[in-house]
Amino acid sequence: MRLTRRDFLVGSAALAAGASVSVPFLLPKYHIDRRPKRSRVAILQAARYSQELDHTLAAGLRLFSIDVRGKRVVLKPNLVDYAAGDAINTHPVLVLAAAESFRRMGASVVVAEGPGHQRDTELVLSQSGYQESLRDEKVRFVDLNRDELIRTPLRASYMGMKSLWLPRTVLEADFLVSMPKIKTHHWAGVTLSMKNMFGVVPGARYGWPKNILHWKGIQESILDLCATAPVRFVIADGILAMEGNGPLNGTPRPLGKIVLANDPVAADATCARLMGFEPDRILHIREGSRFLGNAAPSLIDQVGETVSAPAEPFQVVPEFRHLRATGVSP
Amino acid sequence: MTTDRVVLSGLIAELILRQLPCGGWAALASSSQPALEPTCFAALALGLFPGDALGRAQEFLLHTQNPNGSWPAFAGDDTDGAWVTSLTVMALHDMVPVIPSRLRGVHWLMSCAGKESNWFWKWKFRTTDRHVRFDPNKFGWPWFPDTVSWVVPTTFAILALNQLPCSCGGLEQVPFRVERGVEMLLDRVCPDGGWNAGNGVVYGVPVAPHPDDTAIALLALREHERHPVVQSSVQYLERIASSLTAPWSVAWAILALAAYGRPIDSLYGSLVALPELPNVNETSTLALVCLALDYQRALSALGVTS
Repeated sequence: MRLTRRDFLVGSAALAAGASVSVPFLLPKYHIDRRPKRSRVAILQAARYSQELDHTLAAGLRLFSIDVRGKRVVLKPNLVDYAAGDAINTHPVLVLAAAESFRRMGASVVVAEGPGHQRDTELVLSQSGYQESLRDEKVRFVDLNRDELIRTPLRASYMGMKSLWLPRTVLEADFLVSMPKIKTHHWAGVTLSMKNMFGVVPGARYGWPKNILHWKGIQESILDLCATAPVRFVIADGILAMEGNGPLNGTPRPLGKIVLANDPVAADATCARLMGFEPDRILHIREGSRFLGNAAPSLIDQVGETVSAPAEPFQVVPEFRHLRATGVSP
Repeated sequence: MTTDRVVLSGLIAELILRQLPCGGWAALASSSQPALEPTCFAALALGLFPGDALGRAQEFLLHTQNPNGSWPAFAGDDTDGAWVTSLTVMALHDMVPVIPSRLRGVHWLMSCAGKESNWFWKWKFRTTDRHVRFDPNKFGWPWFPDTVSWVVPTTFAILALNQLPCSCGGLEQVPFRVERGVEMLLDRVCPDGGWNAGNGVVYGVPVAPHPDDTAIALLALREHERHPVVQSSVQYLERIASSLTAPWSVAWAILALAAYGRPIDSLYGSLVALPELPNVNETSTLALVCLALDYQRALSALGVTS
């Protein structure tokens, strides 16, 4: 085969374009390797948001060796905005069930979140049902958008920033639990336990929305945040999930599952599979599996239900159709 | 003394109690990290009752100004905040000795613009990145540099610049920037009226407005009352105001609806009646409630004619 000058130029341009996309992810930019030898994920069946979740969750947590006696547990739900009937936020019933479970295990528990779109956190809390529930159960809420801030060196450098101001409540947590809603996301593909960490970035310093993270790269920001504020446990709300134009304007999608994990990468890889996606095609999961946790099924001890892709994969915006796993019907 | 005056006096007393030794206020009652936004709102609220606390607040604001004329989000921060610069310019209003500081702040504001004002990003948003519906020719102010324009920082900048007595002495571009900012607000409105942070339509789908963002934007558009966008947004705010229970949103709604001469008695009554107002943890909200309870003077301090 003979290369013409035109072939060469086209090939060079394609190579340069490919390199500009992939090189940022080829060079190691993490300062620590936090991967456990093996990770554990439990998929629990839960058809609805009811008091039964107390028992379901307590039983699920017993599948892990968790010792939080005397520890400060911070539950970080995904609380973005409120629209009646939508599946935008982690459901408060699940968050309260988690708070109760960790309290019974001897921990002190706070719920903490910094909504990314809505500046009036109290309005979101009251409209979403959190305010009343938290008050009734005497669970303290910390608005991470307005918490005291500490300049924190980043433990990975995908964003190109050296440090971020992060909330004291998160940095001083002994056991940070990410409690995402299982959703598709029009900029990131999915929003699960790792993307949920955007909520710890304070609006009072970075604005509403936290636009700097978009400009520095959403996938890159997720990795830097998860490296810097380690998620110790995941409780993902997939009872009523969201597909399509998430995180705000998608369509509710009943999945009937809660996913528990001691590793955020393993949790997100499993959730992605449950959505009918190939985790390796989601940049922050693939890159996170190099230093934050395990995405490969061979490194994950699966308990509870088995992972099964849905007959119909989750709908996504056109830019993310490539996430759908091979063999899953379109 | 009427009930609302009693409530207002109590809230001002609480505000003064929360003032930190440095003269600033923290975002939360439980915090001791002085921040600019709560300090500016507190200073504006204390402007209704001038005294020693106000003087110390103004001293704090002067001491935290960055060398380039901007103000940071909180003492010790290392970045310029556009919205806090606008708020500080307003909070230092009426003080003759601080005119040079305010002018430096205004000059910095004039140098700050949403990233979409740059030709390259304008081109990108017109050609390859069109998922969010907006006209990049119409730009305002970002929360802080190197990001795009958003509704709240643009509104605060317009309010601050509108307080200038003239656009001279190197500030000839002020009317142009204000006009662009107004155009940007009108462009970013949600399809059925009202504003959220600044994304009215994403992926062809309307995004819901927020009451506080709507009220804040309306304050900057007071001179455009007859514009259909403004009218539909006032109607949206009137429609949802009675369902609001969070003091931050209720207070902003009172200020905006009062600015447009709409009835606010019921909303005002519900704000006064909110339980545990002095225990509101967030200091900006506490100060804003004070401003809403004395809305005529507050609107005057914000440069809005009612």
